[in-house]
Amino acid sequence: MNVARENILSRVRRALRTPGHQPLAPTGQTIWPAIDNPWERFQTEFAALKGELITDLPAFLAGFPRIASDVPSVPGNSSVHDADLGVTGCDCVIAQTGSIAVSTRSAGGRALSVWPPVHLVIARRDQLVPDLKSAMDIWRTRYDGSWPSNLCLITGPSRTGDIEKILVMGAHGPKRLAIHFHE
Amino acid sequence: MIAARQFEIDAAGKASDLRHRAVIQKNMASYDASVTRGKARFADWSEARSQAAQIKWQTINHLDQYLEEFERNVLANGGHVHWAETSADAQRLVIEIARRHGVRKVVKSKSMVTEEIHLNEALETAGIHPIETDLGEYICQLRHEPPYHIVTPVMHLSKADIAETFHEKFGSPLNATAEELTMVARHQLRQEFQTADMGITGANFLIADTGMIALTTNEGNGRLTAALPRVHVAIAGIEKLIPRLDDLALFWPLLSISGTGQAITAYSTLVGGPRRDGEPDGPHEFHVILLDNGRTRLLADIEQRDALHCIRCGACLNACPVYRTVGGHTYGTTYQGPIGSVITPHLRGAEEWSHLPFASSLCGACTDVCPVRIDLHHHLLHNRRNTTQRRLDSRLQKIGFRLWAWFMRSEKRYRLAGEVLRVATPLARPWTKTRDLPPMPEQSFREWWEQQ
Repeated sequence: MNVARENILSRVRRALRTPGHQPLAPTGQTIWPAIDNPWERFQTEFAALKGELITDLPAFLAGFPRIASDVPSVPGNSSVHDADLGVTGCDCVIAQTGSIAVSTRSAGGRALSVWPPVHLVIARRDQLVPDLKSAMDIWRTRYDGSWPSNLCLITGPSRTGDIEKILVMGAHGPKRLAIHFHE
Repeated sequence: MIAARQFEIDAAGKASDLRHRAVIQKNMASYDASVTRGKARFADWSEARSQAAQIKWQTINHLDQYLEEFERNVLANGGHVHWAETSADAQRLVIEIARRHGVRKVVKSKSMVTEEIHLNEALETAGIHPIETDLGEYICQLRHEPPYHIVTPVMHLSKADIAETFHEKFGSPLNATAEELTMVARHQLRQEFQTADMGITGANFLIADTGMIALTTNEGNGRLTAALPRVHVAIAGIEKLIPRLDDLALFWPLLSISGTGQAITAYSTLVGGPRRDGEPDGPHEFHVILLDNGRTRLLADIEQRDALHCIRCGACLNACPVYRTVGGHTYGTTYQGPIGSVITPHLRGAEEWSHLPFASSLCGACTDVCPVRIDLHHHLLHNRRNTTQRRLDSRLQKIGFRLWAWFMRSEKRYRLAGEVLRVATPLARPWTKTRDLPPMPEQSFREWWEQQ
């Protein structure tokens, strides 16, 4: 019997015998504005985050001698830890925030999308969803009952503003984040 | 009483430190502009706050059920759950896990709860070397300073200050840019990530229905901490729960917009257990430590229970005119500003910390910005009342108020007091030393009125 667990839970239950004051009920109003053109919105958000939209994939890949890849169409030649570029798939792409949803299952584990200095995502146009809520729905539909051990919404390259709020890219994770959509 | 005296000394020092003021004003102006842009992303910010408050109310008022649901799901995901009643319990649990795995070096992702339980000191005493990996926290660690702010740990330092620290430690140039300094830290810390045996993180949220923790970082250090070492230990206060994964569609943007103004933090990560079969990497063990450390005391205070809704965004610190003037270190607490002054007397004892709620103008700016609608300035007032009822306030103050009441009860005495005070303004020297007092008009209001 775990004493700390029982003590904490019994203190919680004792405290909750007195019901708390209810806050004002929300009105149920929509809190987000409608997204008219998800594709346009994604491009705007992604560009503002300093993400790179890649159209000429071979030309882009030619810039990287050591590639670690989880995507069959892009052959890799390096381990994750030595790679200049990590290539992964994703679960979906989110217009509202310009984010890319990945998981250990869709993006080849935990390190591939965060350790190499550049991260390239290969996605399909039909993976674009309007908002965060739809991304959660995709995750739930795909994984409920058997979740991957790690999931992430990636929104732009790694960044920090810890020094005088000056924005610096590539604090610990990728300095560059790129996405290529194939039809 | 020592903490109260120290607060007075530090507050007086910081309030008149113009260099400190310039750095803070620059940071805050940048924050304010960014948050205004962030809020404009919402069609209805006020409704978003109400919905978040409702969800947190539901969670906190059924906390036992959600804790058990969370625990069940973490276990089902192959993780371990531990319960810690106090700081000492939590320290002991972490050290036990570390010893079992022969851990010598730990990488840490920014976590205020580990500051609260003084984990780094405990690890060092146990012969384990902790390394902070958030850039701001790393700078704090290099300078042996506590974080100045729960979100922006080195808000009080200028680029030149940081360049000086890095120059001493790593020999980088004194005129290094923010980018060059960041790359120095990146280079140093990448080596640590690769060689650390254990990763320690906090949790921004605990998700009951999937048994996951949510971690947000901009730098990616949270992801690396949870990806590379063999063991991952997450420590979180029991109030961090939210019921459903889907709630994050609201809480992630709410936290980041209030924290920095960003639409969503660069990396919003979910960790639901150790590496699974078929996954190429990740730790072999995943532990969650659920910490009470006075939180159930706050839960039992029916008036202030909603202080447990806090998602630690830091907005109330930034909005507070007192915080902006006296600075984060003056509080002497893990959690500074209005939320800190509300919860610290509960978490660490009213005897030592009852002065904090008095460091407020009660202007209500904190309540206005709180994304989960905590009634902060009324709670500051509640804490003041508690202090008075427990007779923790000073005798001088009591005498002062009795005198004031005595003068106010009679018209004659009131008039006399007015006349005396008009000529006694030099007695207000301690007050006017750092504040402006407008010159006394030649006539009192009464004299003027009688002439009309």
